[in-house]
Amino acid sequence: MSRAPSPKKARTALLAAGLLSASPALAQTSPADDIQRGAYLARAGDCVACHTTPGGKDMAGGLPFALPFGTIYSTNITPDAKTGIGTYRFEDFDRAMRKGVAADGRHLYPAMPYPSFAKLTEADMRALYAYFLKGVAPVDQPNRKNGVIWPLSMRWPLAIWDAGFAGKPFEADRTKDADWNRGAYLVEGLGHCGACHTPRGIGDQEKALDDRGALFLAGGPVVDGWIAPSLRGEAGTGLAGWNQQEIARLLKTGRTDHAAVFGSMTDVVRHSTQYLSDGDLQAIAKYLKSLPPTEDAPLARPVVADRTAAALRAGDLGRPGAAAYVDSCAACHRTDGMGYVGVFPRLAGNPAVLQKDPTALISVVLKGSTLPATAAAPSSFTMPPFGDRLSDQDAADIVNLIRNSWGNQAPPITDRDVKSVRGHMG
Amino acid sequence: MGAVPAALAAGMAVGGTGAAAEPPAYQPKFFTAEEWAFLRAAVDRLIPPDAEGPGAVEAGVPEFIDRQMDTPYAQGALWYMQGPFYEAPPELGYQMKFTPRDIYRLGIAAADRWVHDNKSGKRFAELDAATQDDLLSRMEGKKIEFPDVPANLFFGMLLENTKEGYFSDPIHGGNKDMGGWKMIGFPGARADFMDWVDQYGKPYPIGPVGISGARG
Amino acid sequence: MAAASPKPVDAVIVGFGWAGSILAMELTEAGLNVVALERGQNRDTYPDFAYPKVIDELTYAVRGKLFQNLSRETVTIRHAPGDRAVPYRQFGAFNPGDGVGGAGAHWSGVHFRITPDELRLRSHYEERYGKGFIPEGMTVQDHGVTYDELEPFFDKAEKVFGTSGKANNINGKIVGGGNHFEGPRSGEYPLPPLKNVYSAELFAKASTNLGYHPYPLPAANASGPYTNPYGAQMGPCNFCGYCGGFGCYMYSKASPNVNILPALRLKPNFELRANSHVLKVNLDGSGKRATGVTYVDAQGREIEQQADLVILSAFQFHNVRLMLLSGIGKPYDVASGEGTVGKNFAYQNMGTVKAFFGPDVHTNPFIGTGGGGQAIDDFNADNFDHGPLGFVGGSPCWVNQSGVKPIAGLALPEGTPKWGTTWKKAAKDYYAHTLSADSHGSNMSYRDCFLDLDPTYRDIHGQPLLRMTFDWKENDIKMTRYVVGKLTEILKSMSPKQVSVSVKKFGDHFDVRNYQTTHLVGGAIMGADPKTSAVNKFLQSWDVPNVFVIGSSAFPQGTGYNPTGMMAALAYFSAHAIRTDYLKNPGPLVPI
Repeated sequence: MSRAPSPKKARTALLAAGLLSASPALAQTSPADDIQRGAYLARAGDCVACHTTPGGKDMAGGLPFALPFGTIYSTNITPDAKTGIGTYRFEDFDRAMRKGVAADGRHLYPAMPYPSFAKLTEADMRALYAYFLKGVAPVDQPNRKNGVIWPLSMRWPLAIWDAGFAGKPFEADRTKDADWNRGAYLVEGLGHCGACHTPRGIGDQEKALDDRGALFLAGGPVVDGWIAPSLRGEAGTGLAGWNQQEIARLLKTGRTDHAAVFGSMTDVVRHSTQYLSDGDLQAIAKYLKSLPPTEDAPLARPVVADRTAAALRAGDLGRPGAAAYVDSCAACHRTDGMGYVGVFPRLAGNPAVLQKDPTALISVVLKGSTLPATAAAPSSFTMPPFGDRLSDQDAADIVNLIRNSWGNQAPPITDRDVKSVRGHMG
Repeated sequence: MGAVPAALAAGMAVGGTGAAAEPPAYQPKFFTAEEWAFLRAAVDRLIPPDAEGPGAVEAGVPEFIDRQMDTPYAQGALWYMQGPFYEAPPELGYQMKFTPRDIYRLGIAAADRWVHDNKSGKRFAELDAATQDDLLSRMEGKKIEFPDVPANLFFGMLLENTKEGYFSDPIHGGNKDMGGWKMIGFPGARADFMDWVDQYGKPYPIGPVGISGARG
Repeated sequence: MAAASPKPVDAVIVGFGWAGSILAMELTEAGLNVVALERGQNRDTYPDFAYPKVIDELTYAVRGKLFQNLSRETVTIRHAPGDRAVPYRQFGAFNPGDGVGGAGAHWSGVHFRITPDELRLRSHYEERYGKGFIPEGMTVQDHGVTYDELEPFFDKAEKVFGTSGKANNINGKIVGGGNHFEGPRSGEYPLPPLKNVYSAELFAKASTNLGYHPYPLPAANASGPYTNPYGAQMGPCNFCGYCGGFGCYMYSKASPNVNILPALRLKPNFELRANSHVLKVNLDGSGKRATGVTYVDAQGREIEQQADLVILSAFQFHNVRLMLLSGIGKPYDVASGEGTVGKNFAYQNMGTVKAFFGPDVHTNPFIGTGGGGQAIDDFNADNFDHGPLGFVGGSPCWVNQSGVKPIAGLALPEGTPKWGTTWKKAAKDYYAHTLSADSHGSNMSYRDCFLDLDPTYRDIHGQPLLRMTFDWKENDIKMTRYVVGKLTEILKSMSPKQVSVSVKKFGDHFDVRNYQTTHLVGGAIMGADPKTSAVNKFLQSWDVPNVFVIGSSAFPQGTGYNPTGMMAALAYFSAHAIRTDYLKNPGPLVPI
């Protein structure tokens, strides 16, 4: 079984991509350069996020993933010969990265986004290999046994999965400029943004792997109480209201003048995107801004007359949720829902507030959120958890208030929705 | 423990004013039944129930003080308590070896003993309000001598803790229904007045909120 | 005997409040390997100061959760040499901090510089009023540094703190709107002034009507979102009223935790060790060079941390105590007046006037901010003619409504009983209708006000406590009575129902029972002469030149202004000298 592109075809794809690499001296790199570039690419791929436990050794694996079919653990990808990938040849590494097949022939679970990593150029793959074999400290730490329910615990169905949903090498779009293509390469490939932001099908596969799919990055499923919003051009719920600079700044610092990352994106910024070059971040932002809205999305947010701000400022707290909002939310997000520029996010028009699925918003209210401390923005502002202060009904009232005030419009929720999110909290 | 009049053992306030709006009976953990009776009677004279607002008992002040007795504060653990202990000018501050627990234990016993000896064998809680006020005033003004703890030291701590229980956040057991805050117009844990800082001359119209999120 | 010796470092910093965090940042930026030792626990805005749990007057302001743990260590106090000192057993007059951020985590935020004249106080008074004006026994001195030398560092501190205010004098040009009496500034404040609460608005109007010059108090409570030169961000102050005694949940009050640590802790050459109590600075055989410090860690182990450079940046009196315990410098001897360590211990000299209004004037005193308000400097420093008055010093006066909370803050007209129905009615009638103003006075230094080691009392580690010998003097009481008189006139002009005045009387002794301020100064004072100062103008020990002693311990006397801004500027001034001169050529920065 061979779905890998022939070496010749891979080269074609690489050449077609032109200046995909951040390093123009791609053809003539020294081993040390390769390790350094590989380290950068490993940041872009956020390998450490899944392959390191909190407080554990870098890349030594062991992080649990509660998937629909059971709990699996990430593996040791340090160059330790016994427990890691120290004995991997480049070909083994390449096959694991692109096809999800380990050196011993085991099929990896698709929590490892190898369909996305299949997009990598050979040069980038070789740089990554150099980094993992020579730039990472070996750690002797045996892999943990996975707890996957039968029949998926038999790894052979994965081969069938792989056959159906495998990724392909990146092919440049000649109608777009080098920046766009660089952005596409990073988003679709190493960045594996679709792992969270693309809806999944019945086989848990991402419904699209690149911009040719209309559902690519159209918003992902609920994972651990969080939901990754659409990165396409929908008004309100997507990135229509964002400009390229704001997207790049969010990835660099975890925040913009009006928004902040939350949920698992916090770690993505902390471990990965803050380290990307400004050029790469601009390229990513440019690419994302080019994605059109999904077909059923409204083109613009409706204009809604609203007197919430005036009522709250006058101390008129009759509306459900108004009193609880004034007591627990208004200090930072203001009675006009505008927050404070650069520090506390705006709720008016905030995509995280307007998502049809309220799970992530409820999670923020109950669990709070902490901004990543990044080199460019070291303050890790924290919204405290309000789960203990608010009843299910209070939280539902607050969520309904902020989803339907200051011009916001989103479907109502009930205390049962809050109870359900609370039930999934650890 | 000596014989306790039935009314005291039942936790009812005797003398002074009634405590109609009393919350469900709290069972003290530090104070004995006699001490509890004294405490309830005394704090309700320091902050009596009237038309202005709840009395100290209704506001849960005795519960607050009893719960405070289980904190490092009451054990003297927040204070420098190493000897030697010398008498010093009052301006140099507290110089005795008693912890708040000691002060209550000795102070209540001394006050009740004084009442017993000077008021035909009664206890403080059995006196009428005017007589209770008179004794409290004497304690405050150092016009009475207690054997161990100075009367004014005990009185000062009792008054301080009573006001703490009346005005602190309800999570500490007092200020029930935020009655103390509502009386004076303090908004509690609201802690956001951005909309109000420059609304000059207007009363603040929103009632208090507590740390727990409850509203008064 | 130390149980362990970690790797030697370039610099060890003792105490992680404002002074320690500033020096840590500066020395880390200079490339040094820096370890900071903080004896209290680790603290950060989240979770330690998070809403709503920090909005708890009892736990924080009353029980003092963020204050130094007196059960472990305190000071002893007496009024005069020859008296027996007794311990400061409970909090009263002052509240030193503890934990990461130190008192910088629970301060209020008033952020002043110093008046240029006060930096050369003795020279200035002698020049203007003659040699005999300063009374015998008043040991005030010049700082040995000029306002112009410090100006860039005042400016830097304000930019780091995100200070809100209004300049009046920019490079000698009067731009107006700020303090009529201020020294020249190189630029505006980084943020515009905070909004006035109603009480401040009333005070400004009344002061203007009487011909005074009100200005917005400079506040390290951000008037809007702010990003400082380190990239650390502040939220805007929302007048929640929980500053002094509390950590700020809005990230809007400047603190080491908000303004410095976020950037500092990302640096690989910096390490912060909390729960690490320094016992002493270790000196080599010559006694002229420090080799590091010995501290006790959280497990009670004695650790020796070697370092080339030792920065003492603990609270004012802890700096002095560590010098005395370590044998750095010559202890002050009150009998002979010789020696420098412990000399010139001074404080702040407060007076308060309250106006009680009827039910129609809503001052809403729970609305507040720790550093904001309206002030006048007409009676501060030497902004008025002291000649006929016969005293040295002055007071700024202000309404600094920082959130009046009911347990400790409820004030009632004089003569109101302290309990019972009359008290209750007064509490209800006046709480929301009271305006409070302060005269925040200077306190001169005197020959018999000093610090030394107590012969009797010890801390939890068995080391002697520091002993304060201190009392109010006639000069300072004259000053406060004069200024409080002026302040009372201002409040009376607002036509309240009643005014209450709290001011020292002649013969009053220092009273530790009631809070005054935590603005303790001196004891390791700066100056130009090693015979009369413990540190040079760069806050470098004259005797052990690889020890720098940073803090208000360097002030030769107490100013009318709050000390933090001046202390922070001195810290930056000292750090600059270390970076530009000392590191190139370690040794005395001022020749002896």
